[in-house]
Amino acid sequence: MIFKLARMKALPVLLSMSAFIPFGLAQQAPVSTEAVQLVGMAGFNNNSKGHLKVDDGVLSFASSKNNTSISAGSIDDVVTGRDSERVLGGTVGTLSRLAPYGGGTALSLLRKKVDTITIEYRDSGGGLHGAIFTMPVGEAESIKQALLAGGAHTSIPTIADAGANSPAQSDAREQVH
Amino acid sequence: MKTSKSTAILLLAWASVVASLHAQSNSAAAPQLPAIEVRMVKAGEIPLPAEFQVALYEDLIQEFQKKGAFRQVYRDGERNAANTPGVVSLYTTVKNFKQGSELERDVTTVGGATSITVLCQFKAKDGTVLLERNIQGKVRLIGDNLKATDNFAKKAAEITPESLAASTVPSDASEVKGIM
Repeated sequence: MIFKLARMKALPVLLSMSAFIPFGLAQQAPVSTEAVQLVGMAGFNNNSKGHLKVDDGVLSFASSKNNTSISAGSIDDVVTGRDSERVLGGTVGTLSRLAPYGGGTALSLLRKKVDTITIEYRDSGGGLHGAIFTMPVGEAESIKQALLAGGAHTSIPTIADAGANSPAQSDAREQVH
Repeated sequence: MKTSKSTAILLLAWASVVASLHAQSNSAAAPQLPAIEVRMVKAGEIPLPAEFQVALYEDLIQEFQKKGAFRQVYRDGERNAANTPGVVSLYTTVKNFKQGSELERDVTTVGGATSITVLCQFKAKDGTVLLERNIQGKVRLIGDNLKATDNFAKKAAEITPESLAASTVPSDASEVKGIM
């Protein structure tokens, strides 16, 4: 009877303490972005446009024709970077180089910055795969954080870790090309 | 009637003998193609961005699969590769890397080239070096910087089992710049 009373008293205390449980232990909200798969994802052609999503420790990439997913736990390395690309890409971009009176050169000056994310993962047969994605600026870091929370590994510390340890380490690769 | 039947039987028997002999001679002529295992590219002491390292590796696999000169193309660490007889492993180490700029290439048309030189070593299962070459990939005019990895992979995939067999003595890392 005494034990039962003590348990009932402890219940509100435990409930109020649950508010202080760190967010890290809670399930990560899904992160998604539009992306271009440059190379590496099985079943996709190079430079496929699609939707990249990290949800519940699974990275998935879906285009209009196909979709595939990878468990974050199978990812050996995630590295983010930054690059720039021509605003006019593909066949139109190539043809625009032929524009007369220096028009092609002028068009090539129109560029946009993009984030890149490079992952290395192993399939069920132990084979190593690599994949590169580009996405709008500012999206790569949130994808990386979601992957790391899902169990992925990285050779380059995240921005938060880098700030605490050695900022030069993360800057080594994250440069505007 | 009886004669024509026996003639037909004889003809059939002769045809089957000829067909089996032809098949035997064909199987003797066609060499058993080895498999290749592509190992992950090592950056060595060169500061190589991760996307270049991965693009080199994936482009190599794609090109070897496209060429079809090897019976099977295995990835680094694939368990089946260890059990495959006569598998050749390709080890690659980046020896030189110069990252150019697509914008500079577009504007100047002479500057901003990206180039990458990779030492490729084809090794037998026992570790013997079968062939060793420096292969260079470049993008000079049109395309983003990663095109250099595609250019490199196309040249590397020109190496076939026949060229491995021909090179009994490993070459001393001869420079390959153009078409091999």
